[in-house]
Amino acid sequence: MSVNSLKFGLAAALAILSAPIVSAQEALSPDEMAALCHGGGSICVSATTPVARTTQAVQSWMSLDVGAAWAAGYKGKGVTITIVDDFSSTSRFSGNFGIGVQTQRHGEWTREEASMIAPSATIRSKDFSTGSAVPLAAGRNVLNLSYGMYTTAGYSVNQIGWAPEEASIISYATRGSAVVSKAAGNDAVAVGGVTGGQQDYLDLALIGKSTAIFVGALSTNGTTANKAQLAWYSDYAGSNPLVQSHFLVVGVEGDKTGLYGTSFAAPIISGYAAIIGSKFTKATPVQITNDLFNTARTDTLANYDPSIYGKGEASLSRALAPVAIK
Amino acid sequence: MRERFKVRGGLCVAALQLCAFLCAPAATAQEWTTSLVDIHQGSPLSDRARGLGNGGYELQSGSWVSFNRWYHASWVDMHVDLLTQITPETGILWGLGTGEQGEKYSIAPSLKLGFLTQAHLNPNSSLSLSVASIIGGSLTEKPCVADYGDLGTYSVNCRLAAGETAPEETLKYLVNARPETMHLWLNYRLTF
Repeated sequence: MSVNSLKFGLAAALAILSAPIVSAQEALSPDEMAALCHGGGSICVSATTPVARTTQAVQSWMSLDVGAAWAAGYKGKGVTITIVDDFSSTSRFSGNFGIGVQTQRHGEWTREEASMIAPSATIRSKDFSTGSAVPLAAGRNVLNLSYGMYTTAGYSVNQIGWAPEEASIISYATRGSAVVSKAAGNDAVAVGGVTGGQQDYLDLALIGKSTAIFVGALSTNGTTANKAQLAWYSDYAGSNPLVQSHFLVVGVEGDKTGLYGTSFAAPIISGYAAIIGSKFTKATPVQITNDLFNTARTDTLANYDPSIYGKGEASLSRALAPVAIK
Repeated sequence: MRERFKVRGGLCVAALQLCAFLCAPAATAQEWTTSLVDIHQGSPLSDRARGLGNGGYELQSGSWVSFNRWYHASWVDMHVDLLTQITPETGILWGLGTGEQGEKYSIAPSLKLGFLTQAHLNPNSSLSLSVASIIGGSLTEKPCVADYGDLGTYSVNCRLAAGETAPEETLKYLVNARPETMHLWLNYRLTF
């Protein structure tokens, strides 16, 4: 297969990772999306859907951990979360993050979720249909990737001719210049595994990168009394130690929001990373990433196994807490 | 809650006896008499320090850190207030506070100084004025040293170390409080 045809194949298979699982595998039409991303700029912000930036209440779908960690003070201030997602297609679906039923595009949902977790963070929207490089903001950056790049299984990552968009993201994760929160996928396979003869090559390209975080979904937020299980659709860490050490899980309580999928797991981690970055203003993306890994909990998970849960369930309160104090 | 000097009644009696013993020679030599006005333990600042001990948080390991151990004092600030009468209508108010010390705060010892004067307006009524000032006695909260692993070690407000506020910002919220430095009383007494 030529490089050009492989690029086309990847673009055609751009898949959002939300679940109503029926739509998770549906590829959006690049032409359709491009037509709706006006101006040809690299950043396409939807002006039609209000973002709940002022909603700072802890919602029932959030981990209790968020409420415990929220105190008067910063909630992501000084950190920019860039949501790379669909902000231009005609595909919309309904859900409720606790502020009323809304019908929005995929990217508008993930953007709203991240902004509710980290209400003081600066949120940018990057329409993924443009393919242009993702610019970083001044200061600390978090990239949210609630999508995958699928094509026929069997290629080496080096064979992929990445668009400037994904090339820039992979570069940031490699150099450690931004925290990259990547939805693990909704095919109930190991990260990067084959499903329907295809693989998510963006997952594969991010394996072993210093600031890449693969985010799986739990069916509930875990507690020590009520331990959580991996959501039935969620991809899991698998046997690769490089994935296990960069894999986190969070609760995606779709029974409360009507929104399922690891698409809605990644923005939670993006929000957590922003909050950590707002507290530790000198922290590098690598340090923020490692803080999340080092403080993930395993005692809130049913039958913890690193090949399923990776490092465990992300804990914001522990990520903000000291190792020791005297 | 202020800890009034009730359960330590034996000590109170001892203090009164000590006062009587020490004050008697002075009264004889200068015809001044000194009386014990009040003795108690605790103060609004003691209560405030105790209030800082409510709560706690988990460290990264999950082990619980209670604030109580940082804001507990084995000795609660004791205040002794005395009145030395220098004329039939005037007296000097004076007293001492011992202060108290916890692991992460201190209340400095204090000295009270003031005067009391009264005027008999008629056989059935009197007007008295007293002014007292407190020197020292400030509550000072001390910082902790928090180790955040790879993210660094910071001097922090012990109570806010696990919150979302930047470590260096938490120091703004250390409690530094002074006691009420001036007391003014004006009393009118009518006997009928």
